[in-house]
Amino acid sequence: MADASTGNTRKSPVGDFFRILGHDIKEIGTTFREGDLKTRLSYLICGFGPIARGRVLLGGFFLAIQAVLLWFIFGFGLPYLSKLDTLGLVETHKENRKTVYGDNSFLILLFGLLALCAVVALILIWRINVRENRKEELILKAGKQLPGNRADFASLFDSHFDKTLLALPVVGIFVFTVLPIIFMICVAFTNYDANHQAPSKLFTWVGFTNFKNLFSFGQDGFGSTFLTVLTWTLVWAFFATFLCYFLGIAVAMLINKKGIRFKKLWRTILVMTIAVPQFVSLLYVGKLFAADGLINGTLMRWGLIERALPFWTDPMWARVTIVIVNIWIGIPYMMLIATGLLMNIPEDLYESARIDGATPWQMFRSITLPYMLFVTGPFLLTQFTGNLNNFNVIYLLNQGNPKSMGMVGGAGGTDLLVTWLYKMTINDTNYRMAAVIGIMVFLVTAIVSLVVYQMLPSVRDEEGFQ
Amino acid sequence: MNEKTSSMKRKRLVSNIFSYILLVLISIIWLFPFVGLVLNSFRSYDPAVEYGGMVDYLIPKHFSLDSYRFLFSGETNYIRWYGNTIIIAFFVTLIQTMVVLCVAYALSRMRFAGRTLLMRFWLVLGMFPGFLTMICLYFLLKQMGLTQAGAIPGLILVSVASSGMGYYVCKGYFDTIPKALDEAARIDGASRARVFFTMTIPMSKPIIIYTALVAFMAPWCDYVFASYIAFGHDASFNVAVAMQRWVWTGDYQGYFTRFCAGGVLVAIPITILFMLLQRYYVEGVTGGAVKG
Amino acid sequence: MKKKLLTMVLAGAMTASLLAGCGGTSPAAETAPAPAAETPAPEAKAEAPAAEAPAAEEPAADAASDVDYGSGEIKIWVADNVVDFTKEKAEGFIKDHPEFGGYTILVEATGEGDAASKMITDVTAGADIYGFAQDQIARLVTAGALEEVEPGNAAKVESENAAGVVNAGKVGDTLYAYPMTADNGYFLYYDKSVIKDPSTLEGIIADCEAAGKNLCMDLGGWYQTAFFFGTGCTLTYDTDDAGNFTKCNIDYDSDKGLAALKGLVAMAASKSFVQGSSAGDLTNYAAIVDGTWDAGVIQETLGDNYACAKLPTFTVDGQTYQMSGFNGCKLLGVKPQEDEGKLAVCDALADYLTSEEVQLARFNAVGWGPSNIAAQNSAEVKADPALSALSEQFAFTIPQGNYPGDYWTLAESLRDSIVGGDYKNADDAALQAALKSFQDSCISYAK
Repeated sequence: MADASTGNTRKSPVGDFFRILGHDIKEIGTTFREGDLKTRLSYLICGFGPIARGRVLLGGFFLAIQAVLLWFIFGFGLPYLSKLDTLGLVETHKENRKTVYGDNSFLILLFGLLALCAVVALILIWRINVRENRKEELILKAGKQLPGNRADFASLFDSHFDKTLLALPVVGIFVFTVLPIIFMICVAFTNYDANHQAPSKLFTWVGFTNFKNLFSFGQDGFGSTFLTVLTWTLVWAFFATFLCYFLGIAVAMLINKKGIRFKKLWRTILVMTIAVPQFVSLLYVGKLFAADGLINGTLMRWGLIERALPFWTDPMWARVTIVIVNIWIGIPYMMLIATGLLMNIPEDLYESARIDGATPWQMFRSITLPYMLFVTGPFLLTQFTGNLNNFNVIYLLNQGNPKSMGMVGGAGGTDLLVTWLYKMTINDTNYRMAAVIGIMVFLVTAIVSLVVYQMLPSVRDEEGFQ
Repeated sequence: MNEKTSSMKRKRLVSNIFSYILLVLISIIWLFPFVGLVLNSFRSYDPAVEYGGMVDYLIPKHFSLDSYRFLFSGETNYIRWYGNTIIIAFFVTLIQTMVVLCVAYALSRMRFAGRTLLMRFWLVLGMFPGFLTMICLYFLLKQMGLTQAGAIPGLILVSVASSGMGYYVCKGYFDTIPKALDEAARIDGASRARVFFTMTIPMSKPIIIYTALVAFMAPWCDYVFASYIAFGHDASFNVAVAMQRWVWTGDYQGYFTRFCAGGVLVAIPITILFMLLQRYYVEGVTGGAVKG
Repeated sequence: MKKKLLTMVLAGAMTASLLAGCGGTSPAAETAPAPAAETPAPEAKAEAPAAEAPAAEEPAADAASDVDYGSGEIKIWVADNVVDFTKEKAEGFIKDHPEFGGYTILVEATGEGDAASKMITDVTAGADIYGFAQDQIARLVTAGALEEVEPGNAAKVESENAAGVVNAGKVGDTLYAYPMTADNGYFLYYDKSVIKDPSTLEGIIADCEAAGKNLCMDLGGWYQTAFFFGTGCTLTYDTDDAGNFTKCNIDYDSDKGLAALKGLVAMAASKSFVQGSSAGDLTNYAAIVDGTWDAGVIQETLGDNYACAKLPTFTVDGQTYQMSGFNGCKLLGVKPQEDEGKLAVCDALADYLTSEEVQLARFNAVGWGPSNIAAQNSAEVKADPALSALSEQFAFTIPQGNYPGDYWTLAESLRDSIVGGDYKNADDAALQAALKSFQDSCISYAK
């Protein structure tokens, strides 16, 4: 979005893709036609050309990757890959009392996808290898010298340093983040649930059935529950983000106030909440608010209330309680950030405002707030999307309860989409619906953040900061 | 004139007193759960002395170290769990910090094809709910033999593998280091790698400490995924997985004070570290907020 | 430069571990894409030349001692407080049976609820023998995590345990698990100094309110049936042999159901009522509906005032009903095995761990009430106050059958609606509508 070049192209991305693909195929053809034997052999053995031309390091690298990928595809992935279309047909059965497991749909899907990715990687490395050959031939044809092994190696720490730095992280993210996400997206199109569980039962592709179920508003349809949970998720994210934001600024200003001593002490006290692991502190806080917990017990002993306040049992109470407890968690972070930023606001701005007779509130509105909103834009956005998926707070405090007769799939009054889908996988093994909801969570988050992200001033001119 | 200043002084005094009252109140609210935790941890679970479950009073009737003694008595694997968590936290901190630095440097300083695409792709990836992919990661790790007995390296691998996506804050910091410095060094013939290791890294102490601190804290709270990977294998538990059983499952009754004691012991090192490095944390968080 | 070196070493280590991971699994992958289970070399190679291969292939062979059962590890999952007990008994069993000597025992602490969900997540990595509460059985059978009980043992289980307990281990007509305890029921614990007469709910509530103490009861699916079954309602499911629910027998949408719901709402309306039956999490109670597993904690809390009784009666619109509920048991299951020798050992071991002798020993060690009739009739079991209150209550309860997971979730929704006060001022028509929707949902779970 930041690049004007991509933003201004008038052609559609699909058209672009095919144009590039066509161009690529043409170039591959030209390379083969015009290439020498070394180049042509590289079509079979990746890196043969560079090796033959003395760049053993580069060619060897291509060859090694090709070998590893081929070994992986044929030595491991092929049986899975071949069953990917049906996810397996051989049922688990018994021989005497012994169990003979049939196809494992789960592993077929998972490793089939992995093998598929390996195939794509193989094609990519092959393509790069072809292009490299072409480049070398053109250089030689122009009468120039090819870089040697030593230069190739040195470039890994200079002009190609980005590749060295990014290689492992990119592979790691691919295997442990991208692949699982592709897998779960695929699951949304299967019937993988409690009645179709690997390895004892097979599951298979079912098309858009699960999506239809999500948007069906009948007695057992997920439609109305989904809308309720989605609404609460958005409401929660809004309150959780902005209440913490403004109260955090307020607390920071309170501590920063002139004449207040022991500033460090106050800050340290607040910061304790960040340091103590949430699974300890939130569990304790959750029990404080229980019907027979310390708060209710004390209030009753003092005679302030007749009966226990339904902090966790009434849906509305539970929602408010959760938002309040979240303020307890969120203020320290915001206070820290605001403390640092408030000091950056030039003091003379306030000074001149004070001379003009501005009240503190006016100064806050016309100086502090605009500045804070401008600088913390991206932070607010990440906070908002983080809160949309805030599993820990909800789950540790009251597991998304109270449940309600009006909702399906075990959803409760304070369930966010994420806690709901977590329950669905753990309690009901309903992966098919959980995957569909996961995709919805993703869509909601992505739409909200991409729209806001585009509008943030500090993102728009990234280069401007340097 | 004199009257005016004195009235202003009085006004300021009143407002300051009000502020102090507010601050004390806030401190009480914020400290209360920790005081509660610590007090609970000093309550004995021995029925002859007191009671280990939930009670509706705060201050224990008898001061006792029973709960702490229990943790170190060898009746449970607490020391082992604690050690596991330290090992995980140590390696995750070490590797994650390096990965984040590498990625952030590459994205901040180098311009290559697909750079913005990569950044945008990673941003979008982070929006997919991670819980869904747990079962998938479990079977991936199982295939590598990194579940149950091998859960600790497995957990480290998974945490570290995806850590490159958390480059924002660090990249934001690198962006503020003037590029001219790099250019000058490069004109003198230094390679990118040399600039990175001998110039950028020494200048990035606050952000390195911030990244390490954040990485160090995360493994102490990880219980959902860690419990998945350990798959019932007691020796591979971390503290969070092991201890949440004491309060969440019916198999353990009256373990609440022991849970509190274990929680206090977990909180101590993190709190100390946090207090010592608070300055850097603030710098990191603030920088991250500005740059995003 | 030091840092650079370190980066490279670590990068290398990471790649190496990745490769090692792949390499380690490739042999399994070459043979078949089947789940890489820890199959301990299934070739039944007879040690003595006299016992030839055909003998080894026969299941339940007549010359049992000559059969080679193979070797390996048997993993057992039980609740934490019986880990040591189970380990000692299981190892003793292997020692007494030299023919099973190839096997070692590993006992891990995995609670009943946790064990079931882990078994469902990954059967192959789960325990060979594991304990679970009976409400999980249909789910486990559907997921293929339970093997049928060996026919010889099945006959013995049926003859030594009460019919209700045996049914708990069945899905359809097939016995899938060994009954281990029969104390999964609930009754009343109370504080003698506060509650004068524990026989009526109204009296208990009045005493609690007067003393400012709590009356605790979970109103989830397991406990709320105390009211529904008390007024004479039914709720059972029929299952086929595969663990699928075929039919729901329910009559909650009736006058009986209405009376029960009114009783529940009335109880929840008391200011003394606290939702929850897990004594360890609760405070300030004078009466609590709970099971034997919490006896220890409650005894600690109530001290000398500790007392137990059957559940009270409750009165709705002038009519008095005795509270009922479920009686259930804990079961020990064996997971499907890819090796018959190991399966035979697991069966024998599970049978032993649920035998009269071990059940009695378990009662003496940790107080779990036996399911074995002979063990139930022993003098020590009969002398236990909690267990005798339980057996008194069992006269009014129905044996718990199989219920779909959705039922428990639905019942929790009903619980939260009751406790949250949704029905506080509702008229009969509104309550009836809620019951109807509950009933319709229950029916919809059976296909």
